[in-house]
Amino acid sequence: MIYEQPKFSPGGDRYMLIEFGDEMNLDLNFMGQGLATALAGGTIPGVVETAPCFATTLIHYEPEIIGYDDLKREVERLIGSLGGSDDIEMDSRLFYFPTLYLDPWSRECIDDYRAKINPSKEYDPEFVARINGLDDVQQFVRVHSGTEYWAASLGFWPGLAFLMPLDPRCRLTAPKYNPPRTWTPQGTLSMGGMSTAIYPVASPGGYQLFGRTPVPIWDRERRFAEFEGDLCIFKPGDRLKFVPCSMEEYLEVERKVEEGSYKYNIVEYQRFSVRNYKNWVKRLDLNARF
Amino acid sequence: MFEVLKAGLETSIQDWPGRIGYWNKGFPPSGPMDSWSFRLANLLVGNPLGDAGLECQFMGPTLRFTRDGVIALTGADMQAKLDDVPVAPWQSFAVRSGQTLAMSFAKVGARAYIAFAGGIDAPFVLGSRSTFHKAGVGGLDGYALKAGQHIPVLAGQGRAGRRVKEAARPPIRSDKRWDVEAVAGPNDDWIDADGHARFLATDWKVSSKSDRTGFRLEGPQWTFTSKAYNKLPEHGSEPANILDQGYPLGAINLAGQTPIILVSDGPSMGGFINPYTVPSCAFWKLAQARPAEVFRFKAVSVREAQDGAQAIKALCVEASIEG
Repeated sequence: MIYEQPKFSPGGDRYMLIEFGDEMNLDLNFMGQGLATALAGGTIPGVVETAPCFATTLIHYEPEIIGYDDLKREVERLIGSLGGSDDIEMDSRLFYFPTLYLDPWSRECIDDYRAKINPSKEYDPEFVARINGLDDVQQFVRVHSGTEYWAASLGFWPGLAFLMPLDPRCRLTAPKYNPPRTWTPQGTLSMGGMSTAIYPVASPGGYQLFGRTPVPIWDRERRFAEFEGDLCIFKPGDRLKFVPCSMEEYLEVERKVEEGSYKYNIVEYQRFSVRNYKNWVKRLDLNARF
Repeated sequence: MFEVLKAGLETSIQDWPGRIGYWNKGFPPSGPMDSWSFRLANLLVGNPLGDAGLECQFMGPTLRFTRDGVIALTGADMQAKLDDVPVAPWQSFAVRSGQTLAMSFAKVGARAYIAFAGGIDAPFVLGSRSTFHKAGVGGLDGYALKAGQHIPVLAGQGRAGRRVKEAARPPIRSDKRWDVEAVAGPNDDWIDADGHARFLATDWKVSSKSDRTGFRLEGPQWTFTSKAYNKLPEHGSEPANILDQGYPLGAINLAGQTPIILVSDGPSMGGFINPYTVPSCAFWKLAQARPAEVFRFKAVSVREAQDGAQAIKALCVEASIEG
């Protein structure tokens, strides 16, 4: 749901979390991103930076300049001036990422977790397929790769995008690891809650693992022109489609990435209309699977 | 200015306050974990408080100087010797070209800081020289120090013989117990009354699986309010799972049943609840705690937490220096 009034909570001495609701949808994401954008121009003195996500905006502020209560009052006023999202129409790039689902490396990582931390951890693809009522891991791959994903926000680790399935027929859910892994291979495709993510580099993590892409989303050495000088490929409002590939294709793309000759597959002529999207969703059978 | 003979344990170049402004792209601030000791080190050698220096962890480096200069050591006492002569921390001293500074293991505390008059000259990445070695960002080459590296230092105006007054130093404890401030929130309403009482009454043990990304704590199980169970599937089904959200630095992040305090190199977002947040005035305690030592948390208000940061700031000034 979207809350009647946003919920404000402190995070220590210099953070404030604003929750607009408690579900994953475009309206809430636009509220989180919209507040962040409104705060970006130094609108409220003392706001250092923001971190918007699916249904929240985290504010980092300088308490020497503005106190918690004053900041809350100012932000409430600003939220009141934000418009709805139905009229939003924006440029949205679409990325195609070759992806090896059910790859050996994420399996190896799960085996390592089973050996060292939790021997009864069910293999992630089988587990996610089972709890979502799918026939088998093949159907899981079909459903997971059957939709475009919306880059709702960037965070966790440099360059990581939190991805939301745009086609509601492809919504899958999973709990996060308990306890989380201390290590996950770079490029691993994963999900937790209803969110999908690619691990930009080897890092700790809590999402369920089920695939790997050889395409870098993080370019420390600035080798690829498609990053346009940035260290991270994605921006909020981008879309991403995972294209299942074979091991041979995976290795071929990986080779091109290593030699620096890989060309990203990006479509840049489309605009995303929130109204058109919502009208399309209304016509769907939400219980259908692929 | 100096050559690295032995690197020590992930010794890294850090500046303060670090890489600020990229939390929404997943970049942590990095920077010194004990910024109180770090600032005092810079103050001793006449630098602006945020200039780049070295953070040493548990086992310090061995460095050979290639020109004369002034340096200072603060934080944990790593039994430093300059050409085999012991040098005391918390004061500035002169080093000559050809001399060797050898640090050993920390007797008390965990992290020591070395400031060089002029400050380390490493390239700025996104506005900071701080090293985030897990992603290969900052420092000299993105990573911790390596033997054989030559580290440049800018020209400085340091003076030897300056000392931090005893009362202005962080009171690094030797009894293996730390009273750590914690502010309730942002997700404190997911924990039930018993859970809150248990959190504040427990001796939490610092796990050996702790580093600059997070401090894992060992202790009892957590209990939750109905909010943790009656929620939409996009949160994830475990009670501590929440729809991914921004994390405050210092958040006590409940990863399943394992609390992890997110520190300088920590993640900016994720899908676990943060029932409490350790305020910045207590980060130095985390920095100086060693595995198997004990944290006891003390609930403080936002205002008290902010006053704590001010109190430390008020000590990082010239009036704290003698000599």
